[in-house]
Amino acid sequence: MIEFVSGISVVCFAASYAVALACEASRLLFRSGVRGAAMIAFAMAGLVAHTLFLAWRAAHEPAVPLSSAFDWYLLAAWLLAGGYLWLTIANPRTPVGLFMLPVVLGLIGAAQVSSRAPFPQSPATQIWGSIHGIFNLAASVAVAIGALAGALWLIQAGRLARKQPPLRSFRLPSLERLAHTTDRTLTIAAWTAAAGFLSGIVLNAVNRQRGLLETVPWTDPVVLRMAALVAWLVTAAVAARVTRRSADGPRTAAWLSLVSFGVLTASILWGVFGTTRHGAPPVQPVAAQAVGQHAFEREVMP
Amino acid sequence: MTLAFVGGTHRTVPLALRERLAFSAEQAAEALTRFRERFPGREGVLLSTCNRVEFYAAGAEADGPPPPPDQLVSFLAECRGIDASLLTPVLTGDLDEAVVRHLFSVAAGLDSMVLGEPQIVAQVKQAWSLAQESRTSGPLTGEMFQAALRTAKRVATETALGRERISIPSVAVADFASGVFERFDDKRVLLIGAGKMAAETLRYLRAAGARDMLIVNRTAGRAGDLAARLGARAGRFENLSAELAAADLVVSTTGATAPVVSLELFAEVELRRAGRPLVVLDLAVPRDFDPRIGQRPGVWLYSVDDLAAACAANRKSRQRELPAALTIIDEETQRFMGDLHHRSTAPVIERLRAGWNETGEAELDRLFRRLPGLDDASRAEIRQAFDRYAAKLLHPPLASLRSESRAGPPHGLLDALKRLFDLKD
Repeated sequence: MIEFVSGISVVCFAASYAVALACEASRLLFRSGVRGAAMIAFAMAGLVAHTLFLAWRAAHEPAVPLSSAFDWYLLAAWLLAGGYLWLTIANPRTPVGLFMLPVVLGLIGAAQVSSRAPFPQSPATQIWGSIHGIFNLAASVAVAIGALAGALWLIQAGRLARKQPPLRSFRLPSLERLAHTTDRTLTIAAWTAAAGFLSGIVLNAVNRQRGLLETVPWTDPVVLRMAALVAWLVTAAVAARVTRRSADGPRTAAWLSLVSFGVLTASILWGVFGTTRHGAPPVQPVAAQAVGQHAFEREVMP
Repeated sequence: MTLAFVGGTHRTVPLALRERLAFSAEQAAEALTRFRERFPGREGVLLSTCNRVEFYAAGAEADGPPPPPDQLVSFLAECRGIDASLLTPVLTGDLDEAVVRHLFSVAAGLDSMVLGEPQIVAQVKQAWSLAQESRTSGPLTGEMFQAALRTAKRVATETALGRERISIPSVAVADFASGVFERFDDKRVLLIGAGKMAAETLRYLRAAGARDMLIVNRTAGRAGDLAARLGARAGRFENLSAELAAADLVVSTTGATAPVVSLELFAEVELRRAGRPLVVLDLAVPRDFDPRIGQRPGVWLYSVDDLAAACAANRKSRQRELPAALTIIDEETQRFMGDLHHRSTAPVIERLRAGWNETGEAELDRLFRRLPGLDDASRAEIRQAFDRYAAKLLHPPLASLRSESRAGPPHGLLDALKRLFDLKD
């Protein structure tokens, strides 16, 4: 059993999700009595493999699951894959996978090109590091779900405006439900992204105050992109709230959630391919190295 | 002949005659009792709905064949007190495989006025239950009706024949209003006018969960009557503007010759709606709502033509499912007829088996007498070996019989078996 679990790779669950996505896409081409079961079976197999992979890393790597960019992306993908499975079982005729699974695969792809090296942590800052990671994760998942709901709202509204009856195997949720989801996720994303950013500032301050680890400068690209993302999400949430009581409110919220997803994607790509001191191992001036290294070893080393 | 059928539908029997021919549940029970007395040992099931009256009869070999279609026509005419000469030209009859195919098609909704309508399954089930209660259903009709219900289920699950809605009210509620609103129990429904289509739409809305329903009509009395009938409230037509502002879903069916809700009136209403979405089902001809209202943000306006187009698309979609449904009917008919034909071979197989067993037993007795020292375990082993040997010898002819039964009654093989093994009737 241990041998089997240790043999699970990212490719295993990515392939399962890809097959589930292919099944979802085939809804547009033909009808099938077994497709629903196959789709759920592949997604479930992928999620089980994904869970075992993360559990194996948690048991055998130090300070996971949110301790490296690799694990962060995989955990975000895992949450969205779980959400997809739940939504598909609850609403088998709604093609949520067409929108969610590409995001899941994209996050897995981002994980593959990200560093697996754990973010440097000390016991004193571990709690702030976890809070920072969890809030950012929640914000990203909320933005992805909001974008899904927003995209479905626009498609459904377009169909209803063109007086088209629903397709048999492609039934979309009601506008009311989608608008509610979009509105709620925009608010959650703004709050959690702001909390993630603030907890990052606190983490940085604690590091600087105790001289424990490398501090991230204000001009670091990650700080800038996160600040931009938070600013956008707060603006989007406020705009959605302001326009909520207008007839165009749901449409505005749908577009805002899609743009938020675009901003998040750009931010992730910037993080993946840009240079940053965020999460990098400590580099200290020669003069401070002796004292700093001593303090670092005292805090981090067992 | 094992199965016979006679019947007429909306396609063959004029409405006036169909009304006279229709059986209530009590009349159907009486007719079945009379059938049992008139044709003892035969099986019969009477299916009577708004659109069809059909009698299915069956007779096993031992009890004689079922009454032929012309006798069934006379029987139905007698039961309903109608001159048989009126029924003969409009009722159709069939025998054996055609009967099975027809019943399977009926149960699957392929013969219904609305292709694929699901109510017929329950009606077929009721007809069979009534026959069971009246003791006119037997093994043949029992198996045939069970197979018909199974076929209907297969058609319903393996094809999309009955999935698309094709009536304007059902499409309006299930395909369009439900596309906008998640639930209806917290929505206010406003009905303008008191037409028949509006009443039907309100029934669908109530089934979908709508509770708060208000009816306004120029003639207050009609609104009150309809409201009382549908469990809704009646409002004043003069308050139309205020009611429109409060409504989430409007169904309009007045007989007005000019729009009841103009763009100007709606512009006033819109200001008081605070951006809430509004679904308008304008089922009136000419239209009650100015079509430009449908272009306002948050307004989803559907006219009869929009809904009729959706219904037509759904109807076409059902038609596309027809070949798949017919394939299932064909498969199930062949399977049923194969089983039925195979049943007719049972007496010959039974005699063949009995003859071989008798011979085997005689040989075993002789063997055991000559070998008295055999213990019980050895005797049991030898007996089992004999049984296995007989079963293996019987297998090829039985398999041939089953295979032959698929194409029809295997008379040739049965005769050959009787002659080869000297099987007496």
